[in-house]
Amino acid sequence: MRVAVLGAGAVGARVAQQVAASPEVDEVVVADTDGGRAEAVCRSVGAQARAVDPRGPWSEGADVAVLAFDAGRHVGPATRLVEAGVSVVSTSSAIGDVRALLALDAAAAGRGLAVAVGASMAPGLSCVLAAHAAARFDVVHEIHVARMGTGGPACARQHHHALHHDALEWRDGEWLERRGGAGRELSWFPDPVGARDCYQAALPDALLLLQRFPEATRISGRLAATRRDRFTMGVPMLRRPHPEGRVGAVRVEVRGQRDGASETAVYGAIDRPAAAAGTVAAVVAVWLSTGRIDARGAGGLAALVDPVPFLSELARRGVKAAVFEGAPVT
Amino acid sequence: MFTSDSALGLGGRRYAARPVKSFRRAVLALGVTGLVAAVLRLRGTGGVPPQSGGWRELSGPDLR
Repeated sequence: MRVAVLGAGAVGARVAQQVAASPEVDEVVVADTDGGRAEAVCRSVGAQARAVDPRGPWSEGADVAVLAFDAGRHVGPATRLVEAGVSVVSTSSAIGDVRALLALDAAAAGRGLAVAVGASMAPGLSCVLAAHAAARFDVVHEIHVARMGTGGPACARQHHHALHHDALEWRDGEWLERRGGAGRELSWFPDPVGARDCYQAALPDALLLLQRFPEATRISGRLAATRRDRFTMGVPMLRRPHPEGRVGAVRVEVRGQRDGASETAVYGAIDRPAAAAGTVAAVVAVWLSTGRIDARGAGGLAALVDPVPFLSELARRGVKAAVFEGAPVT
Repeated sequence: MFTSDSALGLGGRRYAARPVKSFRRAVLALGVTGLVAAVLRLRGTGGVPPQSGGWRELSGPDLR
């Protein structure tokens, strides 16, 4: 089995490592415009990995291709991959990418392929946690996702962009556009991250979750930000982003009804965002190529994967989810 | 020709012309508004509310 990875940054490197660690995979092909970086990733992965030129037929012979480069540019490569008969795993968290990738549903399904959209920490792990939490309810009414932290430089740039652009919120059957960087809410992430101020931002989680939970009346996404993030969100990034961020977190709150009573379930996870994103994308890629994910068409992870075995596999690879047991003191 | 305030019967007090006074007031109002907005925008929440309970890692029975 061959898996191709386009992008050898913080996430792409983790994808290559995690995919290569799967016994089902015979070869990992890593393509990056920076050939030296792709070579370095392949050396760290081992003999299974091979660096190729992204301007050539980099995905030739691949069962699945993982797109792990800057958000906002995934649609072109994904469309070409589907036309070439290759299933796609996209790590993009850009709303534009997610919308366009979901629109590939018919094309992918017609060819017997899958396009896994938003396969990273958030969206991605957030969608799986929402699906896991939703299993506790008879009816899901609300889903609220919060995310904290960034992976590599591309993720940091996307964080900056998301905070300055309108957020999408699903409310009572229609999409509302909320001003990015506003609407502060305090969200409790798993320890040791703890409580962080989170704001409306251009996050695609709601788009992906609505596909799986069309009955929900409210779906929202928020992004943790510091005062400096908010102060500088309206101007271009003033300095070069860090090579990789520190620990990040995701928190998913699901409200619904069980046995006629209203209840709330809160799940979360902490990890380095690039490591978590790479692991999520790698497991999806391996499961797609081995048939453990048999869905066809384009969708988010809440629609594509069975949450319990998926979370179990993530835990085995070191990405551990947690549940909040308690209640705020009023 | 220059006319002193006292000659105009203003008792020596100097009055700014009306447009200048309005301009100063507008600048002052904008400044105060900007200051208040900056403080509101950047200040913290004033502490973290208490909570009971805590996070528990999913394991074993949770993932079967």
